[in-house]
Amino acid sequence: MSISYVPVGKSGKWDGAMDWLQMLSGFSLILFVWCHAILESSVVISPDVMDAIGHFLESTGMVQVGGPLIFLVFLSHFVLGARKIPFRFDGQKTIWQHAKMLHHLDTWMWIVQIVSAMIILIMASIHMWVALSDLPITAAKSAARIQGGYWAVFFLILIPLVHLHVGIGFYRIGVKWGFVKDCNRAKFKKVVDVIVTAFVVLGLITLARYYFMSVN
Amino acid sequence: MSRLLKFNIFRYNPADEVSEPHMEEFVLEETDSMTLFIALNRIREEQDPSLQFDFCCRAGICGSCGMVINGRPGLACHTKTKDLSGEITLLPLPVYKLVGDLSVDTGSWFREMYTKTESWIHTTKTFDPTAIEERMDNKQAVDIYELERCVECGCCVAACGTARMREDFIGAAALNRVARFLIDPRDQRTENDYYEIIGNDMGIFGCMGLLACEDVCPKHLPLQNQLGFLRRKMGITSLKKIFKK
Ligand code: HEM
Ligand code: SF4
Ligand code: SF4
Ligand code: FES
Repeated sequence: MSISYVPVGKSGKWDGAMDWLQMLSGFSLILFVWCHAILESSVVISPDVMDAIGHFLESTGMVQVGGPLIFLVFLSHFVLGARKIPFRFDGQKTIWQHAKMLHHLDTWMWIVQIVSAMIILIMASIHMWVALSDLPITAAKSAARIQGGYWAVFFLILIPLVHLHVGIGFYRIGVKWGFVKDCNRAKFKKVVDVIVTAFVVLGLITLARYYFMSVN
Repeated sequence: MSRLLKFNIFRYNPADEVSEPHMEEFVLEETDSMTLFIALNRIREEQDPSLQFDFCCRAGICGSCGMVINGRPGLACHTKTKDLSGEITLLPLPVYKLVGDLSVDTGSWFREMYTKTESWIHTTKTFDPTAIEERMDNKQAVDIYELERCVECGCCVAACGTARMREDFIGAAALNRVARFLIDPRDQRTENDYYEIIGNDMGIFGCMGLLACEDVCPKHLPLQNQLGFLRRKMGITSLKKIFKK
């Protein structure tokens, strides 16, 4: 049980470095996810536009090099983030009871971040493997996959989870590093709400476009 | 007719071998401008003299009456019953050692924290009691005073999910305390010295930005801003330590 303790004094110059890397890996992934979502949604304008973008990214090697690079950042981010996740049951029980007791949105948001993280770890790995091992990227191939049914459900789960995790992460970086001050916190939170909602809606529209696209 | 308030109060006396932790219900008629401090005193006076809870100043100054009020850590003397629903659940603050019922020992925790963060002005200057006090810029004095306003109630640490999960996490009150000396021009400690104290995962890098500390602090200390300030400051110090040998 908790009694009085306040251990300090273990100097950790690497703890600081890891905090930087966690933030920077998270931030690169935010930019990646948002760019990815916007580029992907080009299919809504027309599949030809999307094919052209895909072709451009592949002919310049950005997919072949960038893809595995993103995967590496993704894995590093997981390892860095995992330092904060309570993997033991007593820790999970504590934070769960604490969140229930406190009814405090930011504390709940952290739990959402942790749970979404574990699901994203599995689903995003699968998604990256499937996408990168079956180049070139074309709207027709993606549409065929999604019209198969399983992939539609897969993305219906992954899209909201990723945008939640990324949005909360964006908010968290802002407040943790003091880029957002207390007087702007509520406003910043609203902005993040709008961004997340917009990306989830965009993702669903994109998904619907694939689903109802005529293949061949 | 005024409201009848229903109190669910945590009861446990660790000094009594037969005592078991449980919740006990008390009913009390609400009076004008009633605070939880008044309510608890009336319950103790009229219904159960064995009820343990702490108070001293009854004006939000001493910080003794921190407890969990309907889930949120706060000061009993600072909380009006009219702002609460008719059913009020009171628990002792987690994290600290339980003395009995609603009373916890925040004193030892803060004492130890002050020792470990070396919470005093470090200077090589010898103090001359006859000299006129050195002047300080007014803005600077106000900024320091703002952080000095902490009443050591312990609510911020009890509300912190990180502190609950990780016993070695130092908590917002301590980080605020370090920030207070960091901005004090009289303290000669360098950034590297502060890094020794809080530049690790038990200190500022352990904070996950849940901001419950900011949201519960009954004295509205600018904890969020201090945590951001320290993270940037210590983050930069860590890079300097790594790259400048
Ligand atoms: C492999 C699965 C993932 C895991 C296990 C994971 C884990 C975590 C954890 C535990 C945190 C909170 C750390 C803290 O509060 O100190 C976090 C923050 C964050 N995550 Fe993830 N995450 C994953 C995937 C992703 C992905 C795919 C993205 C973006 C595309 C992302 C973006 C972020 C951002 C921006 C933050 C905030 C960074 C910070 O607080 O310093 N994460 N992640
Ligand atoms: S912001 Fe940091 S210190 Fe405050 S409650 Fe959250 S984790 Fe704890
Ligand atoms: S910072 Fe606020 S909540 Fe924390 S101990 Fe001081 S007064 Fe209490
Ligand atoms: S009794 Fe002093 S702060 Fe409540």
